[in-house]
Amino acid sequence: MGLKIENVNKSYGTKKVVDNISFHIDKPGVFGLLGTNGAGKTTTIRMILGILKKDSGEISWNGKEVARKHVNFGYLPEERGIYPKTKIYDQMMYFARLKGMSKQKADEAIKFWMKRLEVEEYMYMPAEKLSKGNQQKIQFITAILHDPELIVLDEPFSGLDPVNSELLKNVMIDLVKQNKYIIMSSHQMSSIEEFCTDVVILNKGRTVLKGNLKEIRNTYKATKIELSTVENAEEIIKNLGLEILFSKDNDYEIAIHGEEDGYKLFKELSKNNMNVIKFEIKKPSLNDIFIEKVGKSEE
Amino acid sequence: MFLLYKKKMKDLGIVASYTIKEMLKKKTFLISNLILIVMIIVGFNIPNILKSFDDGEETGSKILIVDSENIFEGTLETLNQMELGYEFEVTNDKVEFDTIKTKIEEEQIEDAIVVSKKDGKINIEYIVENMNMMNGVPEECINALTSVYSNLQISKLGLTQSQLESLNPNFNFELKQTEEQEVKGNVVAIMLLSLVLFYAIYFCAYQVSTSITTEKTSKIMETLVTSTTPRTIVLGKTIGIGVVGLIQVVVLVSVALICATVCLPAGTLDSILDLSQMTPFLAVMTIVYFLLGYLVFALLYALTGSTVSKPEDVQSANGPVAIIAVVGFYLAYFTMMNPTSELNVIASIFPFSAPFCVPFRIMMGVATPSQIAISLAVLIVTILVIAQVSIKIYSNAILNYGSKLSLKDIVRMYKQKDN
Repeated sequence: MGLKIENVNKSYGTKKVVDNISFHIDKPGVFGLLGTNGAGKTTTIRMILGILKKDSGEISWNGKEVARKHVNFGYLPEERGIYPKTKIYDQMMYFARLKGMSKQKADEAIKFWMKRLEVEEYMYMPAEKLSKGNQQKIQFITAILHDPELIVLDEPFSGLDPVNSELLKNVMIDLVKQNKYIIMSSHQMSSIEEFCTDVVILNKGRTVLKGNLKEIRNTYKATKIELSTVENAEEIIKNLGLEILFSKDNDYEIAIHGEEDGYKLFKELSKNNMNVIKFEIKKPSLNDIFIEKVGKSEE
Repeated sequence: MFLLYKKKMKDLGIVASYTIKEMLKKKTFLISNLILIVMIIVGFNIPNILKSFDDGEETGSKILIVDSENIFEGTLETLNQMELGYEFEVTNDKVEFDTIKTKIEEEQIEDAIVVSKKDGKINIEYIVENMNMMNGVPEECINALTSVYSNLQISKLGLTQSQLESLNPNFNFELKQTEEQEVKGNVVAIMLLSLVLFYAIYFCAYQVSTSITTEKTSKIMETLVTSTTPRTIVLGKTIGIGVVGLIQVVVLVSVALICATVCLPAGTLDSILDLSQMTPFLAVMTIVYFLLGYLVFALLYALTGSTVSKPEDVQSANGPVAIIAVVGFYLAYFTMMNPTSELNVIASIFPFSAPFCVPFRIMMGVATPSQIAISLAVLIVTILVIAQVSIKIYSNAILNYGSKLSLKDIVRMYKQKDN
């Protein structure tokens, strides 16, 4: 069940843009599709949605080949597009009808989502009069209006202020609760870490890393400690042979080579009766992993 | 299978009706059509408007004839009965050149004719304010003066009534042709029909290109192609704009015909258009050729429209289609003067000129049923081929947001797998 991508390839002329990509989304939730600019994310998304033919490989949804007739999907493209002169309601109705909704159902859904995303007042205004953020919310609604099973969101948070980002995040949480399959492509690693259980990282059309995000992070040793104390702890840290990366007003960032170094430091701080405000052993962030993996594949 | 077909047809209807609504709501569309309607109404009312400025005193341009030597012996007044479009004021007094000049400058008269005898010959001077735009003395004045003087001299010969009548030629001119096929209709009606068809087809088809480029520019394409197939988008859009174009043509032609009937003096329309040639068959065939011609050029424009991403590139991308349309139109237009020629028959079969050619051939009664059938078949096959090529290139080109595609890119996209 779910979405299965197996050994998919795509070339434009002699340039290979997607090189033997495989991944599987077998349960509802948010799946992260990451990559540098030109890594092949949009091409992969277009092939998943069936708007671009693959050269070889298999893409299936619930065991059936991906095609408009088999998949009820919603898509928020990276290239934001909207009819500037057309009223919001009219263009939403147009897309809803093309997605197979009846006029009545479309009307109900438009009104529900416009209210939910707090853009109700713009319903009968031409799109060009809306701010970029509100236009983006309108496009997000267009993508989910017809209650799709598979939702592809390309950079959903770019250009949104913190309040609207939060609004969108809440909707995404609800969609996950409704067992929707969501593929999210983003450069904002914090959003990916917040939502995604599984990720695939692409670079120059190739998969450089894929799997469960927690498991991926567990394969990495801890590299840093964030420490905050009441007293000066510099001597204790240096005596253990650890390197201080940053220090200010008894706040420290310390380089370590695994969790063991962290445990040792914590014991020493206790032995010396230091008052510890914050002690956190940090594994590499997704951002660090991304830079490391993409950097390695560049070499 | 049936459900899929039903869905496609439904989507086609949704795209077409959305296109129609959007076109009819466009301010530029409404304003330009309103201007056209006003221009038509004003155009047909120009004679009435000019009449309203007329104070009723002038019967035409006034020409002063100075015959100080009384050469015409008082017969010049008969010129006013000849309805030459001028009012002639005749004087036997001597009038100096400067006096004539003043009268012309003060617009008391438009021109003057001074008759005198010189070396035994009658000398006629035609005096105008400025002879820049004139090739010579107006022909009708020469003929009229010659006629008046001849009649004066003949009357002096003392001829009997029958002798006088025998001097006046009683010719009966008749035009005949060696070819068996008879050509009906008049040039004005034919030219009007061809021109209206050309502009209607060309400008409606051009809208398809603009509409597609607008969608590409506004980056809506990606959302659109995930909602329905590129084939449905192209065909729905083409049908929608075609319906609006047809409504536009019907409205404008109806306004023109109503204005011509109401505003022009009775019988004027018949004399210009020869309405006896406007049969229901011709009306139906004109609409059929309008729609087929529109489809040919609209689908070509769909192709060119999908190859550009910026509005400023539309014109250069559409250049080749414009050339094909103009060549097609002129092939039909220039051969219509000789409708029985082989070249005109070829123009009626060549798909890019047939829409502008066949309706006037039907109007002139020279199009045989087999020629019409062949022309329609060629046109329909051409539309199917262009549709296949255009939809395929459109499907591959619409998601390209780079610079304008070259011919090489277009060929490569045609060879690509369908999206």
